[in-house]
Amino acid sequence: MTTKAVNTAVPRPNGGGYWKKLGLDLAKNKWLYIMMIPGLIYFLVFKYLPMWGIVIAFEDYSPFLGPFKSAWKGLYWFQRFFSTRKWIDYLSNTLILSFMSIVFTFPAPIILALLLNEIRSTQYKKVTQTLLYMPHFISIVIVVSITYVIFGTEGIIYKLTTQMLGRSIDYLGDPKVFRWMIVGQSIWKETGWGTIIFLAALTNVDTQLYEAAMIDGANRLQRLWHITLPAIRSTIVLMLVLRMGSVLDTGYEHLILMSNALNRSVSQTLDVFVYQNGIVNGQLSYTTAVGLMKSIVSVILVVSSNKIAHLLGEEGLY
Amino acid sequence: MKKLVSLFLCLAMVLSVMSFAAAEEDMTLNVMLPDFYSDADWKTLEDGNPVLQAIYEKTGVKLNVTWVPNSGYGEQTTLTLADVNNLPEVMVMQGPRDAIMLKSARDGAFWDLTDFVADAANYPNLAAGEKSVYDNIAVDGRLYGIYRARAYARAGIYYRNDYAAQAGYAEEPATVEEFKDMCLKMAALDPNLYVINMCKYVAGTIGIMTVMNGAPYQYGVNAEGKIYPAFEDPAFQEGLDFLRELYAAGGIDPNFMTIESGNWDDAERSDPPKAVMRLDCLDNGYRYEEWLEENKGTDKEKPVVSLLTAIPNKDGKIQIWPQNIGASGEIVITKAVSAEKLPKVVKFLDWCNSQDGQTLLNCGLQDVTYWIHSDGFRYTYPEGEAENSATYAATTNVIQHSLNQLGMNVNGDLTPPTAATLLRSEYNKNLEDNAQYVIANPCLTFESETNNLMGSTINQAVEDAQVQYIAGKIDLAGLQAAYADWHAEGGDLILQEYQTVYDAQAK
Repeated sequence: MTTKAVNTAVPRPNGGGYWKKLGLDLAKNKWLYIMMIPGLIYFLVFKYLPMWGIVIAFEDYSPFLGPFKSAWKGLYWFQRFFSTRKWIDYLSNTLILSFMSIVFTFPAPIILALLLNEIRSTQYKKVTQTLLYMPHFISIVIVVSITYVIFGTEGIIYKLTTQMLGRSIDYLGDPKVFRWMIVGQSIWKETGWGTIIFLAALTNVDTQLYEAAMIDGANRLQRLWHITLPAIRSTIVLMLVLRMGSVLDTGYEHLILMSNALNRSVSQTLDVFVYQNGIVNGQLSYTTAVGLMKSIVSVILVVSSNKIAHLLGEEGLY
Repeated sequence: MKKLVSLFLCLAMVLSVMSFAAAEEDMTLNVMLPDFYSDADWKTLEDGNPVLQAIYEKTGVKLNVTWVPNSGYGEQTTLTLADVNNLPEVMVMQGPRDAIMLKSARDGAFWDLTDFVADAANYPNLAAGEKSVYDNIAVDGRLYGIYRARAYARAGIYYRNDYAAQAGYAEEPATVEEFKDMCLKMAALDPNLYVINMCKYVAGTIGIMTVMNGAPYQYGVNAEGKIYPAFEDPAFQEGLDFLRELYAAGGIDPNFMTIESGNWDDAERSDPPKAVMRLDCLDNGYRYEEWLEENKGTDKEKPVVSLLTAIPNKDGKIQIWPQNIGASGEIVITKAVSAEKLPKVVKFLDWCNSQDGQTLLNCGLQDVTYWIHSDGFRYTYPEGEAENSATYAATTNVIQHSLNQLGMNVNGDLTPPTAATLLRSEYNKNLEDNAQYVIANPCLTFESETNNLMGSTINQAVEDAQVQYIAGKIDLAGLQAAYADWHAEGGDLILQEYQTVYDAQAK
């Protein structure tokens, strides 16, 4: 208890509350605060004001009646969603896909960045990097079309694996294969682009450290483990915390393009549900409610993973 | 190609010089239509579109069209109706009984047209429409749109009779049982040949097969007057079992679920054909035959495509799947139109159904987008230019696009007739002869809140399970589990709600 009292006393030598300090600061840095006003207004008008639109999650919204005249429904849509047995499927599909992506897609750019970092010839490195960025600019529609061509029953990979394994794999229809296809496509498309931020972090590593380590007899792997990785650890944690915020976001274009009657049992995620019921079937209130729940869970995930990062001694997000 | 375009431009110029004479009261009309030719450029009135020019001269209406690719039209409808201040004035609603249509109509998005349609003196063409079809699209007894007429008896089977002959069926099968036998024999012909051409859109194939086999369409009423879902009819299960058997025998492409409906034709039109039969709208059948005649040089006097419909099932009953409700969607007038402008817009829709209107919307202008040959029939290319027909079609698509989507034809088809090939005449004859066999969904106009909310989700799950069953991914127990889910997830409520309406009507 005593230590805690000392701790709290240290950052507040002047005493006084938050508002008093803010007042003093306002008086001292008047112009800085005045210059901040346009930015604040921007956030209020364009980020916070539109948020009151979530009110439609609590009513039976009709665009023609407007948010004020639409019938109030309270928590009806939330109850409705949880009263269908399917919501567990939607949630588990979302979580499984997301965690597969965190386990397999997230480390891929880190590994690739480390590999690129070891390349000596700058010429070769630049060409490789450019080639690796390319897939990012290919639309997911095209990626899926290419997949259809090479994994369909007429496709080269289908034929090859059929011959090698002696049995055919239904790449496009089998629910067991579906998630691996999605993860594989994401890795193919985004890994190269994802290296950018890690390569930037790698340039900050002090080269003297490597020289010193070399003199001490550290081999390449040891240098990687003891110097490079610790140097980019805070970047990795930051990216991971950000990624946690989007655990429930699977996107819908990719999944809709890849889904069909055979694999729909695993391709229906919350995002796909919102798209199909909100945009295709026009149930705006229902899907706003589902989207709202998703956002709340995402906020909780970001805050808690940030806390964990702090506990582990990392800077985290804020 | 360039020559043609410049010809059109000259023509447009001449027309625009003439135009100031016409139309005392001009009016711009914003319309939103589904587009089947989104890859062709579109010419607006300002760019010199001769068809729009002609419409303007005759009616004083400057059409301003927003094209939405047909595949995304459903989504765009929702988004458009959510943006109340930027509604088009006239638009196509593709599903007259969809939740979005019912809700928007009730919330006051569209003008009530009931009184206009009843006014035969001022709007004779609209008033000439079929009462039964108007009833099918009415919401709470009021009309919020003009339906786009389609024949009932369009659905059936078309197949290559040259392949059927190899399987021992030189004559058309006379019964559903014979038809099934023919399919299985054709599947045994060649391991690389699929029989039924299927794609992602399976509702048609499953529907045609099961209804032909004796199942009701979507919902049935049993002897005790209880409403039940069609998939619980034994005849439905039999039809499904047949498709499963054919799939197992190699008669259906295992990749069919990855084929978009836009690429449905590919398997038939490849060389050699990968699939030789389709359960669909039969107008696709005579188009296939005409394509074969044109591109493969098959004999016009001996069609290689056969149309098969109205054959008795094993109980001796003939049933045809209803392709539609006598309508393919409807044209609505939104509240973006002021009350003063409304009668003029309705008048314009009435004109669209006149002979002039129908011809301009469906065929375009004579000698620009269609030609009357010396035999008196309408063609899509000038006489003696058959080999350049693709070029003419491309130019027509630029000018005409999908303007026919605005056509309603409620008073019958008044466009210049086309030359009837053998199959096309057979198709037209079928439409009249077989209308009596087309069955209807008894719950079509019934209201069910649960269906509006949950219907599409749970019906999709059932359809998915049926596909998995056909493809051998699940067994009968799995299929029945999916049906049980349907009941639990809202199906029981839907049945209850329908039953209430049905009982009330029966009294």
